[in-house]
Amino acid sequence: MIGFRLAAQKPPEPKPVADGVVMRLEHVYEVDPALMVDHIQQLDFPVWRTNRTVANRWDHLAWMHDHWADTVIHGEELLEEIERED
Amino acid sequence: MAVAALPDTLVSELVSICGSDRVLTGKSALFNRTRVPSPFPVHKWEDYAPQAVVLPTSAAEVSDVVRLANEHRVPVVPRAGATGLTDGAVPLKHGILVDVKLMNQIHEIDLEDRTVTVGPGINMLKLNEELRKHGVCYPDDPASYPCSLVGGRIGTSGFSLLGARYGHTRDLVISFEICLPTGELIEVGDGGGRKIRKSSTGYTLKHLFMGHQGTLGIVTEATLELVPRPEAEFAAFFAFSSYDDAWRATAALARSGLATLAGVVLFDERKLDYLRRDDEAYIPQPPSVRSVIATALYGTADEVRPAAKRILGIGKDFGGTYLGDEISEGDWASRHDRYATPLHGRTPSGQVAPMSWHCEDASVNWTALPRVREEWHAIVDRLIEKHPIFDDWGMFAYTNGAYKPWGDYLTEIDVGIWEQELDEESWEAWVQAKRDIAEVAVRHGGSISACHGACREGEVDLVPVELGGQFDVMKKVKRALDPNNVMNPGKYLLDEAYEEVER
Amino acid sequence: MADTERSTDPQQAANGDGDARAEFVAEWRNSAYHCFSSGHKFCREVCPVMQVTRNENHSPTAFHASIVAMEKGHLDVADVADDYVHCTQCGACETRCPNSLFTGDFYRNRVRTVEVVRAMRAFAVSQGVEQPGWKLWNRLTDELKNEPVLGTDGQQPNGQEHVRDWADGLDLPIGGETIMFVDCEAAFYRTSIPRATAQILQRAGVEFGLMREQWCCGGPAAEMGYVDQSRAFAEHNVADWREVGAKRIIAIEPHDYVHFTEDYPAYFGEDFDFEVVQIIDLVAELIREGKLKLERPIERVVTYHDPCRLNKRKGIHEAPREILRAIPGLTLKDVDHVTQWSYCSGGGGGLPIEKPEITAEISRRRLANASELEVDTLVSACVWSERPLGAAGEEAGIEVKDIIELVAESAGIEV
Repeated sequence: MIGFRLAAQKPPEPKPVADGVVMRLEHVYEVDPALMVDHIQQLDFPVWRTNRTVANRWDHLAWMHDHWADTVIHGEELLEEIERED
Repeated sequence: MAVAALPDTLVSELVSICGSDRVLTGKSALFNRTRVPSPFPVHKWEDYAPQAVVLPTSAAEVSDVVRLANEHRVPVVPRAGATGLTDGAVPLKHGILVDVKLMNQIHEIDLEDRTVTVGPGINMLKLNEELRKHGVCYPDDPASYPCSLVGGRIGTSGFSLLGARYGHTRDLVISFEICLPTGELIEVGDGGGRKIRKSSTGYTLKHLFMGHQGTLGIVTEATLELVPRPEAEFAAFFAFSSYDDAWRATAALARSGLATLAGVVLFDERKLDYLRRDDEAYIPQPPSVRSVIATALYGTADEVRPAAKRILGIGKDFGGTYLGDEISEGDWASRHDRYATPLHGRTPSGQVAPMSWHCEDASVNWTALPRVREEWHAIVDRLIEKHPIFDDWGMFAYTNGAYKPWGDYLTEIDVGIWEQELDEESWEAWVQAKRDIAEVAVRHGGSISACHGACREGEVDLVPVELGGQFDVMKKVKRALDPNNVMNPGKYLLDEAYEEVER
Repeated sequence: MADTERSTDPQQAANGDGDARAEFVAEWRNSAYHCFSSGHKFCREVCPVMQVTRNENHSPTAFHASIVAMEKGHLDVADVADDYVHCTQCGACETRCPNSLFTGDFYRNRVRTVEVVRAMRAFAVSQGVEQPGWKLWNRLTDELKNEPVLGTDGQQPNGQEHVRDWADGLDLPIGGETIMFVDCEAAFYRTSIPRATAQILQRAGVEFGLMREQWCCGGPAAEMGYVDQSRAFAEHNVADWREVGAKRIIAIEPHDYVHFTEDYPAYFGEDFDFEVVQIIDLVAELIREGKLKLERPIERVVTYHDPCRLNKRKGIHEAPREILRAIPGLTLKDVDHVTQWSYCSGGGGGLPIEKPEITAEISRRRLANASELEVDTLVSACVWSERPLGAAGEEAGIEVKDIIELVAESAGIEV
């Protein structure tokens, strides 16, 4: 789906996943809306905005790795190697 | 609410130095150059406004402005990125603010003698985007890496997240040109030409002119170290079931002797509670995860791979559980711009409130870390009990020594402050808490600050206690170099130097 | 749900005490404080205007701090109006802000600098603090029903009788389920783009028509603070779409796409039931599905300019690269889209009307970056960027092309 439709931008109802934390979209944690009542309120975030923010975050982090070094060495891969060596 | 204007004749002279478009006296220009990210007493904003702003583009202009200010006994406040946490760039006595952001040129990249010479207004990330094309990098990496500027790094003598591997600002800045409070421009380095790293000629003045929070002059150019761009990066985060276990493991990792070790960071239990509020890496962690250690390595792939295995081994041997690639790599990458965001704040009822972040940092020896931690949290707890506009965001300890990361730690307690609700009483309570926090650090043989400087209200009262006879020397130096107390007056209790003379 | 992102705080909504400044400040103070309380300035080095002026009162941080200062009585709109002109509304600051990047999705709250700039500009207009260039521009737009992109002295072919001149000889229908919306700069200035777009869609078998009476989308007016005018134009365009039974709108230009997917939903709420398609997404899909064949080689060495409103505002950065990689013969020397958060042409947000020298310098620096890559062509996907980039490109010896122009060429379409 490449087009924008307003009706598709309303996120699903939140499900509680941890103390003070809910989830509406897969893998995206959100604060329990009940905690944003007294002093600061949530904004209407269409789905695209949440998705874009999450994507931006991961793009930014990948960029930072690349900014600092040519390659990233992964711990999980090394642990497997260590296990094989043992 | 207006701040008294400078005399028209003085403004005209500034214009004749910098040109009319680089001398700003409009209210917006003044009020927008009063603060840095540290907590700010919004209720008395006008006390911190400068009277005029200049945007020089050359050392000669800086020198002329400072000469003029000295002649007229008008305060001068240098300001680079204004991202510091100890108010160096905040005017305390109004005056002329010298904003060096336009001096952001790269003057020379010397790939033979491995230096880069820049203006003080350049940002490290932007600099490194250029240096990357040449296979080199300038690894001064504070939490404000994408926004702080080289001039401010020198003015605060900042801390780098990669300091264990590459050194901190003072190790990475080879030399610089500085405009003294009387307007003279001098080159300051270890000795010799501006690209000499080590000399034993004369006094070593380089350190004197770093970390002075703008009280001894304005840097107009700096020659910086170039290191080979790292081939490989490795980050590992380990979970521990108690702070004490993690504290011991931190020492073992820091003492590993691995040359590629860039740093070890210890997260305490309150930090974990805080991260579980809103950080996607920590929300799913089981309650048994009470403390975390982060480590990172940089260097050639041939060095980093075996060193990484050693790190994984030490982590395991000391009871740590590797938290996985996603958290280790993702969280590490976020630490290059780890400034707290306001909505982390919670009131005692658990409601989200937009809070400013204060990071109170000290240098503390490893043995003193547990005790300092307890005392600091107790101070903040008492503060919150009386004034629920504050919030305890937990503590970090970072390996502190350049190349020798085992002995002392940059220890920080992060405190949320709801500035919108500040009044004089809560502000004073905050200042007292800062004083108490500093007192604990000093009492345990530490230093009030490892990276931000110690010239803010409250903590600054402990500076003479910490420095003893050195503080008397500081005052003599200040008076000798700045006879009229025009250079960033009001900072570091240095006004006392002039009061003593009057007495 | 509309992306108005206004706080739903009932206290704030009720705080209309008649004093215009107090009302404005009450609406924006908490939003401003979301930046002010951190004040970390991660926006500074990505902001295209700040990169040029390096004047702290033009910084996104200042745009929020000045509202707090207004609340405290230190500043008035007249003190700050010129500061807020210094913005292209590219969205770099919001994208890069840790408050959005690291916790925005978690709290469903973010720093809204673009909205703040627009709101302050609107407040300035409401208080009679107007910028002369914008005032003239919007008066003419109101009269002509399109922006006076060819000039403001009245000597140019403007207005409704010329709005479809670009389509001469293409025999395009009016109306239908799918409407191709042509923005003012393309309709009057760079007509090769709508001509190429129309023929690409025809070639790929996409049925579409033009509006009966197409007015400016209204976006630029909203960006410069002329809110009522923006809304009136939106109402006209939506009425026109409904009259012809349109269900799907193809936005051939990024600014329109932002306006249709953010402002129109805010204006019309759930009644806004159109599908809005960005042309770059559509063309990439047509190529992917084999409906559009790119077979004619184009022997150029190019780099791609991520238009701000596609990349930073909407996260559209993969589709254009997919298109460029599909063109035979083309060598793409790419700069990743995150690096390009700090790139811009300076052409947006009304900046070139009021501060043309800053726009020119932003474009000059963008071309300097391209020059280092030793390319012969800079490809953009935003017609509004192409005039300032093109001027800088002439100085730099680099041609500036629109991606659609290259697609048409590779598809063998004579524009």
